[in-house]
Amino acid sequence: MKAVMIIFNQTNTERVEYMFDKLGIRGYSWFNDVKGRGSETGEPRMGTHTWPEMNSAVLTIIPDDKVDDLLNAVEKLDNIHKEVGVRAFVWPVEKTV
Amino acid sequence: MSIYKNAVNKPITTIMIFTAIVVMGIYALVQMPVDLYPEMDPPFISVMTTYAGANASDIEANVTRTIEDALNSVDNLKEITSTSSDNLSVIFLEFEWESNLDEATNDIRDVIDQIIDYLPEGVERPMIFKFNTSMMPIVFYAVTARENYPGLEKLLDEKIINPLNRIEGIGSIGLMGVPRRVVYVDADPRLLDAYNLTVEQIGNAIAGENMNLPSGNVKMGNLDYQLRVQGEFNTSDRIRSLVVSNMAGKPVYIQDVATVRDSIKDLTLDETINGERGLRMFVMKQSGANTMKVAREVRKNLAELQKELPPDVEINLIMDTSDFIKGSINNLSETLLWAFLFVILVVLFFLGRWRATFIIVLTIPISLIVAFLYLFISGSSINVISLTSLSIAIGMVVDDAIVVLENITRHVERGATPREAAIYATNEVWLAVIITTLVVVAVFFPLTLVGGMTGVIFNELGWIVSITVVTSTVAAISLTPMLSSKFLKLREKKKQPKWYSYERTIEKWLGWLDNFYEKTLRWALRHKLLTLFVSLAIFVGSMLLMRFIQTDFMPESDESRITASIELQTGTRVEETIKTTRYIESIIKEKFPEVQILSASSGSDDEGGMFSLFTTTGSNMINLMMRLSDIEEREKTVWEIASGIREEIGALPEVINFTVETAGSGMGGATNTVDVEIYGYDFNVTNTIAEEIKNRLEKVNGAIDVQVSRKNDKPELQFVLDRDKLALHGLTTAQVSTYLRNRVTGMIASQYKEEGEEYDIRVRLKEEFRSSLTDLEEISIVTPTGARIKMKELGEIKEYWSPPNIQHKRRERIVTVSAKPDRIALGELAKRIKAEIDQVEIPQEVLLNVGGTYEDQQESFMDLGLLMVLSLILVFIVMASQFESFIMPFVIMFSIPFAFTGVILGLLITDTTLSLVAALGAVLLIGIVVKNGIVLIDFTNLMRDRGLELYEAIAVSGKSRLRPVLMTAATTILGMLPLALSTGEGAELWRPMGITVIGGLVFSTLVTMVIVPVMYGIMSHHGERNKKKGIIKQIRFME
Repeated sequence: MKAVMIIFNQTNTERVEYMFDKLGIRGYSWFNDVKGRGSETGEPRMGTHTWPEMNSAVLTIIPDDKVDDLLNAVEKLDNIHKEVGVRAFVWPVEKTV
Repeated sequence: MSIYKNAVNKPITTIMIFTAIVVMGIYALVQMPVDLYPEMDPPFISVMTTYAGANASDIEANVTRTIEDALNSVDNLKEITSTSSDNLSVIFLEFEWESNLDEATNDIRDVIDQIIDYLPEGVERPMIFKFNTSMMPIVFYAVTARENYPGLEKLLDEKIINPLNRIEGIGSIGLMGVPRRVVYVDADPRLLDAYNLTVEQIGNAIAGENMNLPSGNVKMGNLDYQLRVQGEFNTSDRIRSLVVSNMAGKPVYIQDVATVRDSIKDLTLDETINGERGLRMFVMKQSGANTMKVAREVRKNLAELQKELPPDVEINLIMDTSDFIKGSINNLSETLLWAFLFVILVVLFFLGRWRATFIIVLTIPISLIVAFLYLFISGSSINVISLTSLSIAIGMVVDDAIVVLENITRHVERGATPREAAIYATNEVWLAVIITTLVVVAVFFPLTLVGGMTGVIFNELGWIVSITVVTSTVAAISLTPMLSSKFLKLREKKKQPKWYSYERTIEKWLGWLDNFYEKTLRWALRHKLLTLFVSLAIFVGSMLLMRFIQTDFMPESDESRITASIELQTGTRVEETIKTTRYIESIIKEKFPEVQILSASSGSDDEGGMFSLFTTTGSNMINLMMRLSDIEEREKTVWEIASGIREEIGALPEVINFTVETAGSGMGGATNTVDVEIYGYDFNVTNTIAEEIKNRLEKVNGAIDVQVSRKNDKPELQFVLDRDKLALHGLTTAQVSTYLRNRVTGMIASQYKEEGEEYDIRVRLKEEFRSSLTDLEEISIVTPTGARIKMKELGEIKEYWSPPNIQHKRRERIVTVSAKPDRIALGELAKRIKAEIDQVEIPQEVLLNVGGTYEDQQESFMDLGLLMVLSLILVFIVMASQFESFIMPFVIMFSIPFAFTGVILGLLITDTTLSLVAALGAVLLIGIVVKNGIVLIDFTNLMRDRGLELYEAIAVSGKSRLRPVLMTAATTILGMLPLALSTGEGAELWRPMGITVIGGLVFSTLVTMVIVPVMYGIMSHHGERNKKKGIIKQIRFME
């Protein structure tokens, strides 16, 4: 099992939801209005007057074989327009209850 | 859930809500009355008191003064003026605007109740009369007839007035100059003496015969009969054969001592229309009724009713006030449509996309329709002010939608789905949009607080613009995102756009403009001080030009109407006056072909009725009303024609005074005058000063129609009775004066009835026995002992001169000398007059003051000045809180003075005077100009916060905001352009506003784009916006 966290521009909300449906991922936790900025080029997303845009984040725990499909989808999403911004991070899940 | 998210997620609900608003708005639009101005309830109340037989001085001392003193304590009273003339005292009370007139009326009634006992016996109860603009007649007709002239009154009453009165909204219909039927019994005093009869005896005989009396009931058999004596004359001929007395056993008939004439009343008023004998009919509407509708109905119905009249009776329209209203409203509606079109073009020009343009432009009708809804709910009307306000608003309502749509487009172009882009992009800008709207509201809302007559105009303007702008903001954050989510699509970038495509023409040019502006800005930033000095020089230079601009109150408009009133020597008999009238008629007919209908009235109607309140009448007065051909069909303006007529009338030697006016229905019927008020008790002193001032004013360049309010003393015959002789004969003054009145004016003995109408039967002496001093002295009256004595035995006749009227203002005697401006501004005229009267030597007890419309103008400009200060403060407050800074508002407000530079240049170039309307335009400019500044500064701050260096930030944001600023400015300017260019009916009223706003906006936009960034550069320091630096100073724990 792997944990995948996708952090993305709010304007991509529907696409991310679509992505999950398409890949048959049922379980996730959703965080609305997440602030942050990219390490290299990513514009700050602060929801302020200066940086009005906001991100959302979604954390999903999926079987190892689905991870690549998901990351591919995220990359495709990112390629639509780089500036909009979407990132995914994967780490292992050691135990679950 | 936010409004825009809801709107996007529930498109049907959104559309339904806006459809509901539109439907209600259209309903309101259809239902709303159309009028020239918003309804005004001028705070005037007059108190009229009649005291029969008293002359002006008696009235002044015994009636006017008492009532005036008592009324002075009424609440909210602003000014009290009065006119005391023969038999009549009219006190005119002006209240503060918006004071409750019903309450005031009650107060006045209370006061009058308290003092009524102190008034002389014989004074009738004072009448309280509330003045209202709706009492002014709305339609005037000229009625001419030949054969049917004597019976015209009855004919019109039956065939025209009664049917017309059934029209909804008609207040009343009046006739002026109607030939009234009277039965005259003219007695020969010699025959009366011979038969030992008196006028009273004849009168009593007629009264005694002309009656029907019930005489009780008679029961006969089964029936109960009513017994009556029928004595009323069934023909006026009966009067001749009445027996007055017996002489030597033979009856004396009335025809033995008098002639009986059943005819038209003696001439006191002569009405002619285009030289033909006729009368005037005027229609007044009910308060609150729709002028246009009433006038239309009247005209329609009259056309029908006219068919039933005999062929020699003709009814012609002299004046229809609704014509001007209709013309103005049509004209303005057209202007509004042009403005709408221009705004669409501007948006299309800058965006280059049909769908986007459609979405934005849709906010215009919605916002405007909400304004109609407001007008409907507040009980107002579609009028010049409301339509002008809409023209002002039309360019501003698209601004918010543009901002929202631009951001949505940006997101869509980055690949977001329109739906999400609509939600999140609106989320990013909605606060900024609301704040810019707040600025506009901050400027316009204070307008709703203005009081006074100017308030009537400004309140409506303030409300309409505030409401439309707020509506447009609401639409921009609900309807615009919703429509964008449905209609906007990602556009494929064209690989090879055609040469005529938007990208390669306008877009390219705009790109070039952006770059050019960026370069200019960078240059200016390097030469900050130079730029600053140059702009200061421009500002100071323009302020110097201010001297050449003339001020005015309300622009006068060409209503195709001229009215004139001409005064001949006081005491001139009406027959002589008529001769002059005929002559003037012939001149006008010959020299001024533009005059289509000329209605003249000479003399006075002794039962003048309500209409006499609006015009002065007298046997020596001529009143002319002229209707000119339409503006488009004549070359000369109404002012040129009026001045031509002025010259012609001025050349007549018998005319001692005259006025020619071009406006009728202006604001409250007021024309522009400068009044020199002379306060002082002594008639002789004030008369001399008035005369001197009049002479001086006539020499002042640009002053015409110089008038002295106090009319010349008029001759008066007084019968001075010797009281000893009266006592000797057992007579009293009252008896003698009644006898005299019965013989000269006539005794109304009874009424002759025919077909339900009553006509006076008037008994008096034949004219040839009562028209000279000797005749009067020879009049014989009967003493209680039965003896006959001549009037000359009781006293003597003396000739006096007495003032026909005495005017008061603030309870002091006053004479006003008024002058009208002739092609110069009112303010300028006042200045010249002031300079001229400074040279007049004034005794200590006399006080001079310059007032008139000029005073109102000063007051209004003061109001406007205060308003401007209030607006500035509010704008400052909004901006300071938005930017969280005291400096930024100053940087932005620095552009305001340049707006005024533009206004001055605009006025100078177009040779327009600074009137109230133009000044109002200047106030509006504050809002629009500041809005541009905000857009610019806000973005610069943003760029700096995002880490750009100060000058770089200024240049970059300038480049990026150039288009939005140009776009808002262009929509407003082009929205106002039709207003500024319009000609035709009523255009004079609003053209100045268009000119000021355009002038100010063009200039200030150009300057703002340079001076505001430069000021920003001067006032800010590098790195001041780095808020973190301050915080870091406090926490340093890692060093």
